[in-house]
Amino acid sequence: MSYSLNEMEATAKRATRGAGYSWGLAEEASKAARWLCAQGLDGSAYLVRVLESDLAINPPLHRPKTVEGVWKGENNLCPLAVGSLLSDCAKHLQHTPIEMHNIAVPSMLLPFVAQAARALGSTICVTCDGLLAETNGTALHQNQAFADTATSVIVARSTTVLKPTVHVTRAFPTKESWNSLNQFAHRTYAPATEESRKLGAGAGLSDND
Amino acid sequence: MTQSGDHIARRDPGIVMRLKRLGSLHQCRLSFMRSLTRRMAKDSWSFSRPIFDIDDNGVGHAVYTAQGPERTYSLVAFAHDLPPEMRSDRVIATAWDATFTLFDGIPDDADIERLSKNVPLQEAGRVSNSEISVSRANRSVRLWAHFVDALASGRQPDQDKIDAVGYLMRTTAVYGSGKLGAIDREGIADRKELAAPFQAEMLSVFLTRTFARDLVQHMANVKGGDQAVRLDPAIARGLGIGNSTGLGMAPFIVNHPVLFNNWIMAREEAIARVRALKSASESEKALFETVLSRSVVTVDHWRSEHPIQIAKLQGLNADLELLSDHLSSTGLANAYPWDCLMAWAETALSEEGQELVASLILEPYDEIVDGLATCMADSNKDAFVIDGAMRVQEVRALIKECFGWAFDVDWNATVNQARAWYVSEEKLEPRLGERFEEPIEDYEQPLAPARDAVAAFKAMESFDATQEIAAFLLEHPEHRHTVRRAQISAIAPYGEIRDNTISATVRPIDMLRAKLSFFGAICFDPRSDRWVRICMYAGAPYPEELSTANADLWVYPEASA
Repeated sequence: MSYSLNEMEATAKRATRGAGYSWGLAEEASKAARWLCAQGLDGSAYLVRVLESDLAINPPLHRPKTVEGVWKGENNLCPLAVGSLLSDCAKHLQHTPIEMHNIAVPSMLLPFVAQAARALGSTICVTCDGLLAETNGTALHQNQAFADTATSVIVARSTTVLKPTVHVTRAFPTKESWNSLNQFAHRTYAPATEESRKLGAGAGLSDND
Repeated sequence: MTQSGDHIARRDPGIVMRLKRLGSLHQCRLSFMRSLTRRMAKDSWSFSRPIFDIDDNGVGHAVYTAQGPERTYSLVAFAHDLPPEMRSDRVIATAWDATFTLFDGIPDDADIERLSKNVPLQEAGRVSNSEISVSRANRSVRLWAHFVDALASGRQPDQDKIDAVGYLMRTTAVYGSGKLGAIDREGIADRKELAAPFQAEMLSVFLTRTFARDLVQHMANVKGGDQAVRLDPAIARGLGIGNSTGLGMAPFIVNHPVLFNNWIMAREEAIARVRALKSASESEKALFETVLSRSVVTVDHWRSEHPIQIAKLQGLNADLELLSDHLSSTGLANAYPWDCLMAWAETALSEEGQELVASLILEPYDEIVDGLATCMADSNKDAFVIDGAMRVQEVRALIKECFGWAFDVDWNATVNQARAWYVSEEKLEPRLGERFEEPIEDYEQPLAPARDAVAAFKAMESFDATQEIAAFLLEHPEHRHTVRRAQISAIAPYGEIRDNTISATVRPIDMLRAKLSFFGAICFDPRSDRWVRICMYAGAPYPEELSTANADLWVYPEASA
């Protein structure tokens, strides 16, 4: 079944929150999943892989301690935390590449690299254990998908001029990944009680007159 | 002849963005319904009803098409035989008197077949990227049977009964923007006719009103046979389409700060432009006085059983008398007449009256106001992206600018955080609960920007003021949504509500009204502090009557009515 990109974004946001991330990171993750879907990739499956890795249980273990130097954590890096940081540090990329080690689901970095590329108005190249991907923010060129984990990722400005790519306007998640996203999302929903049904949306005066 | 005068600044967001004022906004020239009818008339849209296949029990379907210069849109309506006990405006309802979708183009038989299996189910069905919106409506129990009985027996319906309700059907949800599988907003936003916000939804409701009129006539004809009479077009013209808006819409304006800013800022810019005019011509003054006197009729017809709105209406009626006296004594003779009038209103009238005046002074100035409608959509997708290079002190200054008032609030006091917004498992709709009485806090949605802004500001204290905010966000992802909002506020000064959205006294109906006033709704009738009924398109021409002569000021009833 196909879903609108807005449905993908809304579900991804709730799912990421349901997996224990902050609202701000959930917003980032939802835009990221949407961007991947618009590139014709399964943003839903990539996000599910991140959420199922339980990286939000102890976030400080999965992010670098400082912005400076090579980014590495005590444990593997969360691509949502590091991706957001990468987007935040877009201006650093103007002069200096950013290097990071031991990243979970590195494909999830690509939408954040795209944000940085748009902010800089430049193409950015990602080298992930020897595989390349390039984006100028709207187009993505990648010969081979990244593996599930990466030992080393280097993000740097590039002078390549990318040809525009056609964007996909619907999301086609696998049934499994869509169900999994919805299961994570479900954790954000308060169980219905008779009281909330009556009061929560404000019963008030008659609604059948 | 209108003369340009000095620049007058837009009103301060600190004044405009208080909930009490947002809950007193009125429709104006920039309202989305009026933008739509003006455009359709200007571009000579044509309308037809290729299918009206409804049986004697009122069950079947109909198709209404609206053809613009480049594209055609079709309202596909399904009429149902709903047992009265199942009729509810609440979002938890599972069946309705009628269900609708706005189809992109003209549907063929296969489309109708597919839609007939999904649209009647609403949230439980799926539509495709050929559909732009999905909606439903219930009959007004009070008026429907009266209309059918009267017309069937050869009489016109009773005007007093009509005035007490105002519409034959009310919509209870209109879903757009990719909901239930429909096409994304992004997929239609570059079409000229849909570039302004909510144009597809407004078109759907415009055609739904026509369907309600046609269906009641059909049922009267079935019942009365040869005795039945045609509904007097003048009575039909006065009918609007009702709408019940629930709590679900309130978070929308918090979740879309750039979009909401663009609505408010367009109206504020329009007000500032008119205030800056040094003089007004006789015809401009006359038009203002005409719409004012016609607004008196609107207020006179405005009914509400809710104590809050009853008190506000009393205030508004008193305001109208004061305004009338003021215009008789002082008039609009001074230099900068509109600025003088607004300044006087600020000292003499309630917020209801002030905002009515602010909306009405725009009416004579289509040339300097209407163009602002094109600024009301949100096309700035990258406003979402945080600038991590911004210094901590700059972010703190932005927070202070928007939420300075919130630093005086004791956020530990129960009364100031008594409520929490959450999403219920049922229908996945937002609700507002009692934080300290219900098990909901773990599910809280980020809809208390003021509280969160103060918390983020304090968390930044331990950071070097000149450090990049990226370093703060690395350690404090829990404040990321707040930093984003703070940066957005720099380009969207009217994007934040300047009140506590989780206090014990917050009234979500104020947020609903702010949004609905931009749709062009009138006769706000709160049914509790969390949902409101409104009337849309009352007085508007029907599709076959639409012309440039009647496409705009229909919202103001004739003073003699």
